[in-house]
Amino acid sequence: MSATITSVRGSPLLQRALPSLIVLGVIVGWEALVELNGLAPIYLPAPSSILRYLWVMLADGSMEYNLGITFLRIMAGFLVAAISGVIVGVVMGMSPLAARIVDPWIAALYPLPKISLIPLLIIWLGTGETYKIFISAISAFFPIVISSYSGIGQVDQGLLKAAKDLGASQVQVQTKIVIPAAMPSIIAGLHLGMGVTVILVVAAEMIGGSSQSGMGYLLVNAGQVMETEKVFASLIVLAVFGAALTYAQRWVDRIIAPWAQGKV
Amino acid sequence: MEILVENVSQIFGAAPHQVVALDHVTHRFPSQKVTCILGPSGCGKSTLTQIIGGIEPCSAGQITIGDGRAGLGSQSVMMWQSLNLFPWRSVVENVAFGLEVAGVSKAERTEKGKKLLASVGLRGFHDHYPRQLSGGMRQRVALARALILERPILLMDEPFAALDAQTKIVMQEELIRIYEASKQTILFVTHAIDEAILLGDEIVVMTARPGRIKDVITVDLPRPRSQELVGTPEFGKLYKYILHLIREEVQNAMAQEDLAVAAS
Ligand SMILES: Nc1ncnc2c1ncn2[C@@H]1O[C@H](COP(=O)(O)OP(=O)(O)O)[C@@H](O)[C@H]1O
Ligand SMILES: [Mg+2]
Repeated sequence: MSATITSVRGSPLLQRALPSLIVLGVIVGWEALVELNGLAPIYLPAPSSILRYLWVMLADGSMEYNLGITFLRIMAGFLVAAISGVIVGVVMGMSPLAARIVDPWIAALYPLPKISLIPLLIIWLGTGETYKIFISAISAFFPIVISSYSGIGQVDQGLLKAAKDLGASQVQVQTKIVIPAAMPSIIAGLHLGMGVTVILVVAAEMIGGSSQSGMGYLLVNAGQVMETEKVFASLIVLAVFGAALTYAQRWVDRIIAPWAQGKV
Repeated sequence: MEILVENVSQIFGAAPHQVVALDHVTHRFPSQKVTCILGPSGCGKSTLTQIIGGIEPCSAGQITIGDGRAGLGSQSVMMWQSLNLFPWRSVVENVAFGLEVAGVSKAERTEKGKKLLASVGLRGFHDHYPRQLSGGMRQRVALARALILERPILLMDEPFAALDAQTKIVMQEELIRIYEASKQTILFVTHAIDEAILLGDEIVVMTARPGRIKDVITVDLPRPRSQELVGTPEFGKLYKYILHLIREEVQNAMAQEDLAVAAS
């Protein structure tokens, strides 16, 4: 026991490097597994050949193009969902009548897996951009509405009383107290919404491929012709892209709501 | 500004579970004096202060502020037990809130806010957020936020109850200094006997629920006052007398609770 403690204390460098070393170990092990067993690249390509494919796709611009298209679709779907979701949630929070009107719709539509709407939407909207933006926006809409609404309902009554006592009008109480106080919940809803948008855009690109573009299309296309290296390369790019989106969103949060740090 | 409270009653809830928080309270709070409202917890001190401040409506009775022409709430401002600072606003934005909602320009209200912050010992802290400050400093922010409106009546609901003993002493002396310079009418709610004697010109002792006025004691100790007062025989005599009154009330309150437990 004491020996373990000493060794941990004695090598903080090793401790810090350990996560990276494990990642490296997995990659080396993977490479060795493929090489030594002579696995067919269709089943499991070696990391080195995945990297090669990734490089080729980056060099010919196909990766950047499809990622860019997917990114634009995500942004469009997310913006539509964020604006409409925050507005509906805030209005519900401020007006009990609006809440009573909208509540049954949310109760009915929220539990429905949005992906099951895809066939119907393809019938109505075709497989173009409208369909992809609509399916991702409507999926992200619900978590955003629900978080915004509950955030406004949970505003500390003491703060409202204090603001009124200091002379704030009804409108000033709403704009200067209720909305900023609900901001941490609204931000949490936007994070959920962003996650859902990414999923639905990629899924929609996989299912309705009329425009033949985007990361979802790339994945399905590579899968169909058994170019497993391309599938892996696309997955790596999607993972990095998802992480970058999360960081970017946190950065925006810090700008619009610096006081809310650590609450989201 | 004088405050006349006549036959004010406050009843919460409906018939079988009614709570009579205030029962026909009548008192004339003298202009430009500090009146301490002292009583066991739950006796209706906060309720009475909020009714006087126009923050809560009362079930029955009448409040007259000054000559009766000014609206309830327009002449007073509250400093809350829970402070109710706005966490998303910087210190100076908190302090200047009352001016902001009254339409005072940003330059003017910021300057006034900073000046007031300096006068309560918070020079240089205007850009901090409330969560970055200690308990005592937050108390000063809340005090400055109330003082900036220069209302003739200051309502203080156990503002120092949560402070440690040393900080409390400093804040009490600060309040004495502010009062002796500005001569506002102050209602100061407390459950601490020594605080009531040190600060008050008059002490209104309340009964346990339902809240009624049990006794009104004039504190004839000379001003300017300081903590040194606490050791004097006059202070001791008043303390003993009030302790006796309060002990009766606490015993009554406990007997009521026993009855309630026995009945349920
Ligand atoms: N909004 C409310 N609804 C129901 N009961 C309340 C409400 N506010 C206060 N009370 C009750 O009224 C009584 C007096 O409360 P309060 O004025 O806060 O007492 P104090 O400030 O003296 O501790 C308490 O029994 C409390 O539970
Ligand atoms: Mg109270």
